[in-house]
Parts: sequence; structure tokens; C-alpha cells
Amino acid sequence: MEIHEQPTEQWEPEKVIPAALPQQNAVQPAGEANIPQHKSLSRRALFAGVLGVGAVASGVAFEQWTSHGGSTYLGAPATTAKVGHLLRRAGFGAQKDELTAYAALGYEGAVDRLINYQQVADDDAENRLKALKLDLTRVPDQQRWWLLRMAWTQRPLLEKMTLFWHGVLTSSYRKTGGKEAILMNVQNEFLRNHAFDTYDNILLGITSDPAMLYYLDLTKSTKKSPNENYAREMMELFTLGVGHYTQQDVYEAAAALTGWHVRGRAALNPVAAYNPRDHSGREITFLGQKGAFDYKDIVRILANNPATPWFISRRLFTFFAYENPSNDDLKPLVDTYVKSNHNMGEVMKTLLLLPQFSSAKAYRGRVKSPSEFIAGAYRALNITSDGKELPGQAVVMGQTLLDPPNVAGWPGDKISALWINSGTWMARLNYINLLLNGGRSGGSVYKPVDLQSMVNTNHIDTPEHFVDHFASYLLDGNLEADRKAQLVDYFKAQDSGPDKGKITLTNGQSYSLAKVRGTVYLMMASPEYQLN
Amino acid sequence: MKLSRRAMIRDGMLVVSAGMVMPAIFSRGVASAKALTLDGARSSFAASDHTLIVIQMAGGNDGLNTVVPYADPTYRKMRPTIGIAENQVIRLDNRVGLHPNLAPLKSFWDQGHMAVVEGVGYPNQSLSHFQAMDIWQTLDLNGNGSEGWLGKLVAGLVDKDGHPFQAMDIGVQTAQALSSISTPVPTLTSSQTYRLYPDPVENDGGNARMQALMKLYNTYPKSSPYAALLDTTSLGAQEGSRQLRQAETAYQSAATYPQGPFAAGLKVLAEAIVQGLGLRVGYVTLGGFDTHANQQATHATLMKTLADGLSAFYTDLTKHNKADNVVVMTWSEFGRRVEENGSLGTDHGTAAPMFVLGNAVNKGIYGEPPVLNSLDKNGNLKYTVDFRSVYATMLDRWMGASSKDVLGGSFDTQKFLA
Repeated sequence: MEIHEQPTEQWEPEKVIPAALPQQNAVQPAGEANIPQHKSLSRRALFAGVLGVGAVASGVAFEQWTSHGGSTYLGAPATTAKVGHLLRRAGFGAQKDELTAYAALGYEGAVDRLINYQQVADDDAENRLKALKLDLTRVPDQQRWWLLRMAWTQRPLLEKMTLFWHGVLTSSYRKTGGKEAILMNVQNEFLRNHAFDTYDNILLGITSDPAMLYYLDLTKSTKKSPNENYAREMMELFTLGVGHYTQQDVYEAAAALTGWHVRGRAALNPVAAYNPRDHSGREITFLGQKGAFDYKDIVRILANNPATPWFISRRLFTFFAYENPSNDDLKPLVDTYVKSNHNMGEVMKTLLLLPQFSSAKAYRGRVKSPSEFIAGAYRALNITSDGKELPGQAVVMGQTLLDPPNVAGWPGDKISALWINSGTWMARLNYINLLLNGGRSGGSVYKPVDLQSMVNTNHIDTPEHFVDHFASYLLDGNLEADRKAQLVDYFKAQDSGPDKGKITLTNGQSYSLAKVRGTVYLMMASPEYQLN
Repeated sequence: MKLSRRAMIRDGMLVVSAGMVMPAIFSRGVASAKALTLDGARSSFAASDHTLIVIQMAGGNDGLNTVVPYADPTYRKMRPTIGIAENQVIRLDNRVGLHPNLAPLKSFWDQGHMAVVEGVGYPNQSLSHFQAMDIWQTLDLNGNGSEGWLGKLVAGLVDKDGHPFQAMDIGVQTAQALSSISTPVPTLTSSQTYRLYPDPVENDGGNARMQALMKLYNTYPKSSPYAALLDTTSLGAQEGSRQLRQAETAYQSAATYPQGPFAAGLKVLAEAIVQGLGLRVGYVTLGGFDTHANQQATHATLMKTLADGLSAFYTDLTKHNKADNVVVMTWSEFGRRVEENGSLGTDHGTAAPMFVLGNAVNKGIYGEPPVLNSLDKNGNLKYTVDFRSVYATMLDRWMGASSKDVLGGSFDTQKFLA
């Protein structure tokens, strides 16, 4: 029996509902019948309605998940785990109250909320970002802005989808040049604004995106001498994949794609401009079709090529669910692509509602990417630094945003094991160490995480409760009993040497700060937490 | 009695104090050492102290502007603007010469320590960077391979000392050439950052926390996805960082390395070699060779980075008396189109030259130079030397490994190594 078919929702949240916001035209959720259909609500209502639910979710172990190969899905906490999985994959993880609130919507309600992001206000994140007064013409500030955005946004799927597109339709600031680094931000905003648009529109936009025009040399391509770089990569990496086109198609498409150039180089605001007089206009034969094609025709032909939905669905499925999907896995996405006129939001929704997405195979089935790890930990621990160090952390973990290793993006997006090696593993742990203990790094001052106030706020009264509390949202509450015991033992262990601080639980018992903080470190350094 | 870890492993015993987590790499080392004693025949990968340094020039290096056929009129004709002027070329013979920024490599040549293998490639190039990189690294001509050729080597090499630094990759991502199912390769950008920091409030410098962490890794269900990767990575990281920290303290570079990550990476490799960490394969990637437009300045900078870095590396090793044991090999996924394009650049090509450097190298130009006026239908060079024959030479004649085992077939070897 698949996980999604299990009875869920032992507890029904109070009908927390909805200030009536318009329901989007979304595809109706398939499967589970007992999910209320209208779930949109304001963030405030969302959180207000479900306080205290977390106490139910925490404290229940999830051994069954792993020990029974994922065939058993527990009741209410299993919903939390399933939604926790959803929020890690379709976002950057969650704080405890967020997880609780999303879980209260039921799985499909949570999917709706993620997909219909326009209905969720994100003013808080926007205001916090504005308050930093970052200079978005500078790359480190762009990277910092984006990582903090991932950590703070209430529209996590939108941000995750933007990250997905950045790994597929990628460009690097190294080629746009220092003075025109702002173009990377322009591209980033394009990918965000059109994250769920039709693939045709996305391809049209990226073809005429200034950073892309530089990155794959289309701006250098002229009627007289078409440059084949963009034409090739567009087919190989954006739409069809190797084997579905010939070198002749590359030549021909290169001619058809001529006409776009970046104008106003080194000015403050370089833009893409189409010059029909520099468009080849010659008749070409492209993938079996004949005509005096231009870039719009190339995009149309590619977006309608039968290989394209398979290609992009494979990328999407691999990034969000698991690697090496079968054709059966991909078929529903391909069908949606065709039926919806290539609408990527619809394809995404199909994916999130597929049983495979929530399957045992998917669960902890990918290694967290550096962005997921950095933004996820920052978000979960509710870190309040200025985030100046985050871009550097991403570099040492192996994902320099806005500077992918090459035009194929990050190999880890496809094979997530490639994110982990001895060096990046240590970088991850050192980042956790920095977040928890504080310190000075890269011009930022990190205050230690205030564990005492977390203990007080959450009325944590025993070491077991402490571990349960953090495991409930850092690890979906899915921590095997013997592993929990290891953590509790560590928590209780005596510290030798001088006393460097205590944490007092609400039962009055005090424990060594080193051990208490070390317990959270161990959870976030654990194998489980490296996985997504 | 206190045994060094090396001694313990040599003697096939391992003393583990109660409660200590037994690192898997130790147990494997013990098993391997035993297997070696019992079955002396199983040493197709005979250990030696030879080291191979592989330099990947990622993006498709323009071979024709690296080793320039300056005397060929077709070169002038096809490269009217971006061709290297004849009087700029550093001549190796009457036919070819080096890019001017490769001047430091000319001294390798003059000392008899450099070979050039021309025309290296493979059949049916798709002109895709990624398929080409896959093929060079995994040897699967369909581009569907996963294990790297060096990964096979590293996983199969029996190092009786149990060094985790059998191979080392400079960067934030392990090269596909080094990927193996059983043996993750230490991957790092600098020795300073290759360590775990403790929590300052810990009184024991982080030992207890580390012990607890290793137990969490060691007891993570082995059947879970990525369990083996995480377990071996965590162990390798710990042991490797300890060794590298020791090496870092003892090592003094004997050369001035240029700025930048490429040379810094070579310096880390030199440190590992000089300090005797058992490095057999070192790997550094230099990227940025995909020069479709305005290639001259970009390519010139890359040539300088390459040559200056290698020169410092070699000087360092020589002054530490370690240069005899090290051979450097460069490769790129393809060369570039013979004819320049309209953007002062070059498009994806096929065959290209490789450099082999080191005291053990027989100076010379090997392979067959591809003919510039007999191109394939895409305007690209026809390759003359299968890249696997270069690998075979390196494996059989330098690494003491069986090229047949690694490459899955027999390939002619070249004479650039004795």
C-alpha cells in the first residue's frame, strides 16, 4: 500500500478557516477524499488556529517509517512527516509553528497553499530584506538577498522553483561581467516572476534575457556569423537533450535565433533589444520543419517537440522527488504539460500530488543541496543575523549561487550524492556550529542561538522532551528510538572542567550548555539532517 | 604498548578502546592488508610511490591555440583574427609551438620533462560538453557511465598504510573521474578550512561531541539511501583533516605560487606529496575554456594560470626532492572548431593535444597530428589517438596498475613514459 493511501489525520484541525480568498483554477487534487477543498487563509489565521497542535505531533517516534520500509504511515504525526517532507522539498523546511500550521491544512491543502502563493502575503520577508539596504548591483549582496529570501519567505515553493530554474536555465555573473552583475538579479527576478508560467513563455523570456544573452553568447551572434552556443545548449540542456537534434539543427537554429543583443553595455541599465535587421531571415530546416524562422518559431517548435515535456519533467521530478524516475513516474507530468498548454505550475502541482512524491523512495531520498541546507537551518533556528556570511557558506558547501560550475547547472541537482564530499560535509557542520554557537565571521556577528528562551517558550521539561521538540521540525519527528536515546544520553552527560554555562529546563533541572547545544548540533550534523 | 595506526594496520590488528566507534576505513584497511598477505597474487594494482596529478581544463580547451601548428597555412587561413602569430609562438619544433603564455612549460621541454600527445579524442563526438566529459571520465562512450576511471583505480589500490589520501581532489565537488562506489575521495579547497570547528564552551575541544556524532553515523541504518556515502565521508573527513593539519604544520613551500584557486590547489597537493601522505592521484580543475566569443584574452589568461601554477608546483616538488615521483597530465573534454567563428571565438570541436609533464617523461611529440584541411562534416578535426591509450600508458607505465582492468580493454600504450 502506498503511503498516500494510508488513513491520515487522526485529529482534524478546528475548521480554521478561511477568510474567503479566491480559489485558483488549480487542478483538483486527486486521491484522498477527506481533504477540505478550500484552504486558503491568511498567515495570521493559519497560525492562530492551530497553536498547540505541535505538542501532539512531537514525542511520537517514527520508527515504523524506516523499519517497515515506509509501508506504514502513522496517523496524525505521519501527516506532519508527510507535510514536513513536502516543505523540505517544495521549500526550505520549516519552523515548528509553520510545520504545525501547514499540517493542519492536510497534505493537499498544504500543496494548494504552496502553489497558490499569490494568496499568501510575503510582506514580512520583503520588509526585512528592504531593511538590509543591500546593493543588488553587487553579486555578494544578490546571493545574500536570495539566501535570506529562501530563509524568510512565506512563499517557499516559489523560491524553490526559482532555484530549480536557476539550475536549468542558468547563467553566471562571471560572464555578464562585474559592471553588469545587476543582470543576474534581473534574470533571477524573471525566473521568479515566471516560475509557474508556460514553458513557451519561460523559454521566450530566457532567450531574450540580458544575462543569458551574454552567458551563451547570443548577443555576439549576428546575421552574418550566427554563434551556435545558445542554439546548442537550448536544445541539449533546456528542451530536448542530446540525441534529439543534429549539428545541422544547431547551425540552423543559430541562424534563426539571430537578432537579439544587449544594448547599453556598461551603462546602468543594459537591456535586451531585438534588431530585425540583424536577424538572418533565411529559410531553414529545423527539426524537420521548414521556414524563415525566428526566435519565436524556435521556441514554439521546441516547446511543442514531444521530447521536451519528457526532458523538463525529468529535470523537475529529479530535483523535487527522486533520481532516475521511470517513464511511468514521468507520464502524468508529461500529460499535464500537454493538456495544460505547457503550464509549469500545473505540471508542478501534478508532481506534488503524485504518490511517488510522498513515497518512501522519495523520503530522505536526496541529499540536501547547499541552498537547502543553508536556508533551511537558518529558517528552522530562526536566526536573526544580517546574513552577510551566507554567500561564503554556500561557496564552501559547493553551490555558489549565480555562478554555476557550467551551463548544465549544478550536477548535484541531478545526482544529489555529488553535493557531499569530505570538504563540503565539514563545511555543513561548521555552518551549524556557527549558527548555534555564534561568533564572528565574514564581518557578521552571530549571536548564539538562545536555547534557554526556546526551552522556556516551549515549556521543555525533560531531556527527552528537548530532543522531541527539535526532532519534531528538524527531522519531521522521524527519529528512531535508539538514536533518540543516543541524543538524550549526550544531553544528560556531565561536562568535565570549568562550568561555561547551563540551560535550565522547566522542571528546574540544569544541564551543561555545551551538552545541550551539542545535542542540537548532533541533530543537524546527523545523517538524517543531511538528507532531504 | 602504543602502536601507531600505521603499524596496527600493517600487522593486521586494530586496538579499539571500549566505547570508541570503530571507523570503517580502519576495518577495511585491515581486511585489505590481510587479503594482500594471503593473496599476494591479487596485486594487479601494485602499490608504488608514484603520483599522478590530473589537470582538467573544463569547457573545451582550444588545442590549436595551445599547441599551435604555426607552420600550417591552413591554420592561418582558418584563424585570421584569433590565430597566434608565428612570431609569438614558442617553438617546439619546425611544425608546432606553444601559446606565448605557456613559456614556463618551455623549460620543462628544454629539460626533457614534457611530452605532447596530439590528436587525442574518440569516435562519434556529439559536441556536447557533458557527454564528452562523461566519456573522458567514465570511459563509457555512450556517456552513461557513473564510476570514474580514477575512481576505479583509487578503490582498487591497496595501500597497506591505510592512508585516506590515496587520492585528493581540489574543489568543492569531486570530479566524476574520481567517483567510486566504495571510496569517496577527500575533496577540499584549502588545508586551512579542511577541519571541523568545536564549540568554544566545550571543555574537551569537541572530542565527546565528535564521538557522539560518529556513533550517529556509524549506527545509521546501513540500508538507508546514502548511508555508506555519509559514513565513509565522515570518517575520511576526520582522519584526513587530522593528517592534513599535521602536514600543514610541517610543510614549507619552496616556491612562490601565483594567486588564485588553481595554484592554491596545486600547493595543497604539493603539501600532501612532500609530507608523505601517500597521495597517488591528485586532481585539479581549471575551468573557463568554453570560449565561443572574444576568446583571446580569456584563453591567454587561462594559459598563464595553467603554466605559472604548474611551474611553481614543479619547483616546489623539485626543491623537496619529490619531483621524480610525480607526473602531471592535462586533459579537456574536446578541442575547438578549426575555423574561428564570427564572434572572435571558436565553437565546440573534437580532438586536442594533452600535456604530460615530469622527470620520468620522455620528451617528445606523440600521436599523429590531425590534418587541418581534412575535417569531418562539422568542420572538426579527425582524432588520431584514442584517449584511452594515453590513460593506458599512464596506468601501465606509471601507476603500476593494470590498464586492462581499469579500462575494460586493451589499448596501445605510448612511449612518453618508459
